[in-house]
Amino acid sequence: MDLKRIKNIDVTLLVSVFLLLTFSLIILSSASSNVGREPLDFVRKQATWMLIGITLAGSFLFVQYQTMARFSWYIYAANLLLLMTVFFIGINVNGAVRWVNIGAFQFQPSEFSKLIMIVTFADFLARRQGQLNTLKELLPCFAYVAVPMLLILKQPDLGTSLVLIAIMIGMMYAAGANKRILTSLITGGLVVIVFSLYAHFQWGLPLPLQEYQINRLIIFINPDLDPVRTGYHIRQSLIAIGSGGLFGKGLFNGTQAQLNFLPEHHTDFIFSVVGEELGFAGVFGLLLLFFILIVRGLRIARDARDIYGSLLVIGILSMFLFHIMINVGMTIGIMPVTGIPLPFVSYGGSAMITNMACIGILLNVNLRRRTILF
Amino acid sequence: MFATPVQVRKRSATVFLLFGALLTILLFRLLWVQVVNGAFYASKAENMRMRELVVEAKRGTIYDRNMHSLAVSISVDSVVANPSEVMRGEREAPGRARETAAVLAQFLEMDPEKVYGLITKENVSFVYVKRKVDPDKITNLRNYVQEKNLKMPGISYVPESKRYYEKGKLAAHVLGVTDTDARGLEGLEFIFDQQLKGIPGRLVSEYDGQNRQLPQAEHAFIRPTDGRGLVLTIDETVQYIVERELDKLERERKPKGATIIVMEVKTGRILALGNRPTFDPNDRTNFSDAARRNRAISDVYEPGSTFKIVTASAALEEGTVKNSDRFFDPGYAKVGDRRVRCWKDGGHGDQTFEEVVQNSCNPGFIAIGLNLGAEKFYRYLKAFGFGQPTGISLNGEATGILVPQANVKPIDLATMSIGQANAVTPIQLITAVSAVANGGKLMKPQLVEKVLDAQGGVLKSYAPEIIRQVISQETAQHLNLILESVVSKGTGKNAYIDGQRVGGKTGTAQKIKSGGGYMEGEYVASFVGLAPANDPVVACLVVVDAPQGEPHFGGLVAAPIFKLVMTDVLRHLGIQPQAEHQETPAAGDTVEEVIVPSVTGLSLLEAQDQLGRVRLAAATEGFGTKVVRQQPEPGEKLAISTAVILYLGDDPKAAPVIAGASAVCPDVRGKGIRQAGELLAQAGLSFEPVGSGLAHKQSVQPGQAVPRGTVVQVEFAPLPEEGP
Repeated sequence: MDLKRIKNIDVTLLVSVFLLLTFSLIILSSASSNVGREPLDFVRKQATWMLIGITLAGSFLFVQYQTMARFSWYIYAANLLLLMTVFFIGINVNGAVRWVNIGAFQFQPSEFSKLIMIVTFADFLARRQGQLNTLKELLPCFAYVAVPMLLILKQPDLGTSLVLIAIMIGMMYAAGANKRILTSLITGGLVVIVFSLYAHFQWGLPLPLQEYQINRLIIFINPDLDPVRTGYHIRQSLIAIGSGGLFGKGLFNGTQAQLNFLPEHHTDFIFSVVGEELGFAGVFGLLLLFFILIVRGLRIARDARDIYGSLLVIGILSMFLFHIMINVGMTIGIMPVTGIPLPFVSYGGSAMITNMACIGILLNVNLRRRTILF
Repeated sequence: MFATPVQVRKRSATVFLLFGALLTILLFRLLWVQVVNGAFYASKAENMRMRELVVEAKRGTIYDRNMHSLAVSISVDSVVANPSEVMRGEREAPGRARETAAVLAQFLEMDPEKVYGLITKENVSFVYVKRKVDPDKITNLRNYVQEKNLKMPGISYVPESKRYYEKGKLAAHVLGVTDTDARGLEGLEFIFDQQLKGIPGRLVSEYDGQNRQLPQAEHAFIRPTDGRGLVLTIDETVQYIVERELDKLERERKPKGATIIVMEVKTGRILALGNRPTFDPNDRTNFSDAARRNRAISDVYEPGSTFKIVTASAALEEGTVKNSDRFFDPGYAKVGDRRVRCWKDGGHGDQTFEEVVQNSCNPGFIAIGLNLGAEKFYRYLKAFGFGQPTGISLNGEATGILVPQANVKPIDLATMSIGQANAVTPIQLITAVSAVANGGKLMKPQLVEKVLDAQGGVLKSYAPEIIRQVISQETAQHLNLILESVVSKGTGKNAYIDGQRVGGKTGTAQKIKSGGGYMEGEYVASFVGLAPANDPVVACLVVVDAPQGEPHFGGLVAAPIFKLVMTDVLRHLGIQPQAEHQETPAAGDTVEEVIVPSVTGLSLLEAQDQLGRVRLAAATEGFGTKVVRQQPEPGEKLAISTAVILYLGDDPKAAPVIAGASAVCPDVRGKGIRQAGELLAQAGLSFEPVGSGLAHKQSVQPGQAVPRGTVVQVEFAPLPEEGP
């Protein structure tokens, strides 16, 4: 790699990512203090994942991102194999097989498959530039995404499947797919989902989902539907965030989190802990960091050397965006409960490594951007 | 392929806008939840983790005038469960919840299924398994759990206070009752509820999401303020005497009802008030409403001849009758076209005014009443307090029924003069008679003497309250002597007490039918009297509603009871028999008296046997196998076949003693019985006199601090012979 390029790196993006990681460790030290064997158990582990992620992202910089495009079909195949492993050697947790043991660690193939999906689909779309105008031309794209998505849905992991759809739509849109077809497909899809949920509750239409999954999708509309499980989560989360007020109760002082009223407060509901302990000021700061990250990302996409780079970045940003919106929306009762973690902040090794790899790719595209020569 | 299409740029901008819009939505929602509704959620968060437990205040003790406790609050345990804790235990060791339920059910005498249902109830963190359990049961349960080293997660004991009426039925109608939550429902418990109940405290503690109490967490204890104590005018001993006579009456004559009231005439203070039927306030739910009815203040009756005291007072005061006036009774009185018969066939013939009263002669009193006139008669009726509540501090007082003055006819005046037509309550009658005994001053009847704070200091004293001077002192004194002659020579002979100057009046009235008219063969026999006649101290009213069998006359039914009550009351109050003997009654069927043996410490059977030997009966209070206390005390004289009340307990030490503040024993040496008794009573100590004369020895040394209510035995010896 051309070391002279390193001075072109997006420092703002880098700083915002490091601030996010610092933020994660701080809030996790409070949020996980009553979860692990020792108070700092989870902080230590999370820091380890971060270091692995940073190393991975750093090493990415030495490889031209375009190299990945050449192997995209192999990578795609590997992704499918990886996803299928869970059905053979996966660990069953609460009726879902999402984890695979590697040595002492468990990892979640579906987390990595999101990034793999982006890497391969970007190449797939880049090759079809200008040929994304008719439904016939778009169908192969859908099929391409559908295969890994269905595998993930079968685990079952509804949340990650939805993330894949979000990534797909974002990337296809950026790749110049026919806007009208895309819009009508999204609208049509939403209508079908809403109608089938309605039909399910009204007339008992059978859906290929578990009852608890269906409940989670609609629970935010009325938490009383399931007051002891998902509804309880939402209610406790709202109480946590609301009771934080403007400046919060202070780190380690959030009663909802520290007294275990708030479930999953170190993973999916960590945003509620931020809201409770650091208040509106804290969540505003956190969302500001995400905002900077996304805006800088869009700049990188715009300035990318080629369409493949742009699509990579757009895919990654779509993923982040979807995660942030759904996760934060869930904690404040305006989005379904789908078990999607908050990027960089929620505890979780697979997600952390994937996210850091994404940052590596962003910076890779950033370093190899179009240089405007006068 | 190397040129990034403009399309990508444009679409990036669209994505940015979409992102911005979504982020704005999130921020607005966050602002709404955190800033606008922050306080709402903050209080919700607090509710999530803070539970408040009300800590009951200890209800104040009710004492008699000598600081003997009558109603106390004792701390008893309630067994409570936290079902989520129980279920946690069940998960750790399956079957534990069943086992716990079985143990609890066994010791609390409940159905195991019901207990299991309670302690495993879903979605609650607090249930009462059983409230206010007998201390014995709790002790057995705790011992068992400790012995077997049982683990019963989620089960705990919460102390609550339970009202305990130490003396059982004694003064039940005065004390009243409380409900399970210690709220006064009836009687003084109801009237003085605000004073007695105190202010409950609160225990606020913090819980976590699994419903476990946090040991070192934020919590606050707001201490309860204990209720105030009441010192009654009731004298426990006098009340015992009354209850004893009522019990005997109930056994022998099975009346529909009976009431005895003893009043201190100079103050209007009620020393005893008892009714039959009665109830045990410790066990209120097992008694009917009729048994809980305080007939002394709630029921009206036609007083009959006892009311002639009022007629005579008014006429004497107004001067419409003089001692020298003579009356002729042909056996009836003609009022208009009606004839009212005298109770004695053939009449009493020629009589003086005093003889009219002694004979309780109806035609004589009708003449006196008609001579007085309706206007004046009504003035005195009202002045004596008839037709209006006395204002005694009990609930449910009746006003009585007077014939409306506006349309009173001579025949009404005639019947009113002999105590018919008007209906009064027993409390109204004794208050009026006490006014006559008290030099004409009508006192407000009182039940409560003092209100004490939780430390025993006096917060409020109720001074005797004079309502009005009804008749002059001279008239009153004159009347007292006439009443004495009723007992010594007239219809009240059965109330004569050897050596005491007793005045009184009998009464026998037909009972009014609810539809009007009189009931055939049902009478209210009564006697009201006072003593000593020269300077009355106490008045006593005995009302017996429809005694079964014969005789039914007040002079034969109520007067002997009055005599027994008054004899013991005068002795208890230390009123010595007066030297100058009155003429003994002509037909004194004197009752044989025996000395009460000491049976304290014996088993019930032995005690009954001992009493039986001296021809005394036994009545029991409380539960147990041993007699821990007796009333009257050994050495007192009692008429044969009178019941001695035996207080039962398992062990002499188990006799309920409520530790109160300590009292300093006064020096009573050299004092008379009455003075010694007053001094000790003021100090809050009980008095047990031995012998007569002046005190020369006391069981507690002067100046020594002892718990309130300690019995001080004082030995009295006759006056030493004075040298020349």
